[in-house]
Amino acid sequence: MSVITVDHLRKTYRRLVAVDDVSFDVEPGEIFGILGPNGAGKTTTVECVQGLRRPDGGTIRVLGLDPTTQAAQLRQRIGSQLQDSALPGRLRVAEAVELFAAFARRPVDRDELLARWHLEEQRSKAFDSLSGGQRQRLFIALAFVNSPELVFLDELTQGLDPQARRETWDLIREIRHGGTTVVLVTHFMDEAEHLCDRVAVVDGGRLVALDSPQGLIDGLELPSVVRFSTAEPDLAWLEKLEEVESMTRRRDAVEIRGAGPVLALVASELVAHGIVPRDLRVDRPTVEDAFLALTGRAIRR
Amino acid sequence: MSGYLAMTRTEFRLFRREPFSVVFVLAFPLMMMMLLAAVFGNNQADAHKIQNGLLVWRGVTPADYYAAASAAVIVAAIGLMTLPITLAGYRERGILRRFKASSVPPRALIAGQLTLALATSLAGTLVMAVVARLAYHTTLPKDALGVAVALLVGAVAFGAIGLLLATVIRTSRSAQGIGLLLFFSLWLVSGTAPPRAVLPTGLRDVGGALPLAHLVTAVQNPWLGFGWSGADLAALAAYAVVAGVPALWLFHGE
Ligand SMILES: Nc1ncnc2c1ncn2[C@@H]1O[C@H](COP(=O)(O)OP(=O)(O)OP(=O)(O)O)[C@@H](O)[C@H]1O
Ligand SMILES: [Mg+2]
Repeated sequence: MSVITVDHLRKTYRRLVAVDDVSFDVEPGEIFGILGPNGAGKTTTVECVQGLRRPDGGTIRVLGLDPTTQAAQLRQRIGSQLQDSALPGRLRVAEAVELFAAFARRPVDRDELLARWHLEEQRSKAFDSLSGGQRQRLFIALAFVNSPELVFLDELTQGLDPQARRETWDLIREIRHGGTTVVLVTHFMDEAEHLCDRVAVVDGGRLVALDSPQGLIDGLELPSVVRFSTAEPDLAWLEKLEEVESMTRRRDAVEIRGAGPVLALVASELVAHGIVPRDLRVDRPTVEDAFLALTGRAIRR
Repeated sequence: MSGYLAMTRTEFRLFRREPFSVVFVLAFPLMMMMLLAAVFGNNQADAHKIQNGLLVWRGVTPADYYAAASAAVIVAAIGLMTLPITLAGYRERGILRRFKASSVPPRALIAGQLTLALATSLAGTLVMAVVARLAYHTTLPKDALGVAVALLVGAVAFGAIGLLLATVIRTSRSAQGIGLLLFFSLWLVSGTAPPRAVLPTGLRDVGGALPLAHLVTAVQNPWLGFGWSGADLAALAAYAVVAGVPALWLFHGE
């Protein structure tokens, strides 16, 4: 049985259609990503699913509950990190955890939670005096304070430094191995690629693709790019290969775009012609390329 | 219950760390009491002064009159300013959403705020009574239980009004402006600044219907040994219901 079922979800703000006919399921124990440009409707979608906003159409079931009418029951079982939120400025880290734990039916060990998210040194610092990354870690920690079966992380690693991002990814994987289902909203392609089992790509309020990261790339049949350099003047024979779509050349630097096993074919052909470039390499299409192809625009960095 | 306790403890901590709110809510009524008592004195001769056919000081000395009336001002300041400013700020900064998403129910927040309001009012009243006593030899509350009950009912009534303000005012900045305006308007016409007897008739009647005037009488009567004022307590309870029911409903619906 699915943990989340969203069916024809629709949400409008006055005349703006923020989410338009979006449907997807999330399976138990998966890390499900929602990817899309700014204003695509990602936050609106996950907040409707959490019962924090009221949809205008469609049906949502989360852990067998209806978030619009059974929100209180649902919130005991889910964890949530919101994109825009705050705590009282003078509330200290440990006090915040203590407060939220008091309302949880199954609170986790508070010290362990602080240790896990590297907040021990900040435990008696006021929320207002935390750095952006420290606040983010506190919000992630608070999302886990009630031992949730399902967590929503809206912009998980916003404001985290590269090392903290990696660590956060590891922790999220660990949490998933503990059986928790994770819904992750993100702007970061590498995050989607490394962490998510499946990714929903949303654009302009609509679901434009839903697949595993590799499936998204493969489904679009995006070209790989093979690069090498050689002094050999005439390479026209390479363009005759069926898998090669195009070839460009700037002085010695050659760039070949092509589908499928283009690298192997180009390599063997080069060797057959007695050319053995030292810098032969291939760039396989990434989730970012898939994203660009799907939405036709670059994402915020 | 544990949630309520945790929330109340949190609100007390935050209040303690926010010196401005303490200063305004406690220091302003105290300062005005000191000023007015100094101006009008503590002479028995003034007790039976009559103006516009009314006892100006309700049959007690001006200092006694103001010591009791100023305790009511503390409650009004909390309800009309601290509460809406705090809650509107919570909404504005996304704190309410954060609470809601983590199963912190609005009623726990409201209960914590009311407890804080009541405790601050009681403590402030105690300070008021002691300072007035030391400075002007005023009477200490004759019926402390009666005063405490009046403060409780007053805190609920002004708490409800403050909550209603917090639901209709969207930002903490406008809550500051509107709260301050309401507070001073009430303060001027409720017998807490000039005694109501000296006000023009129309203003006196309007002021008399407003919650602060009821709270002033509800606090003064037991304080000065006139017994409990059932009518004023009932009026405050009515304010609590009329403001509180829509406020709770709106606050929950957010
Ligand atoms: N409370 C609101 N009132 C009115 N319009 C809103 C509201 N929240 C979002 N919108 C609009 O709905 C659209 C979708 O917003 P949403 O926050 O869901 O996007 P998002 O995909 O999360 O974007 P981002 O990547 O910037 O976080 C946007 O055009 C936004 O302006
Ligand atoms: Mg968003």
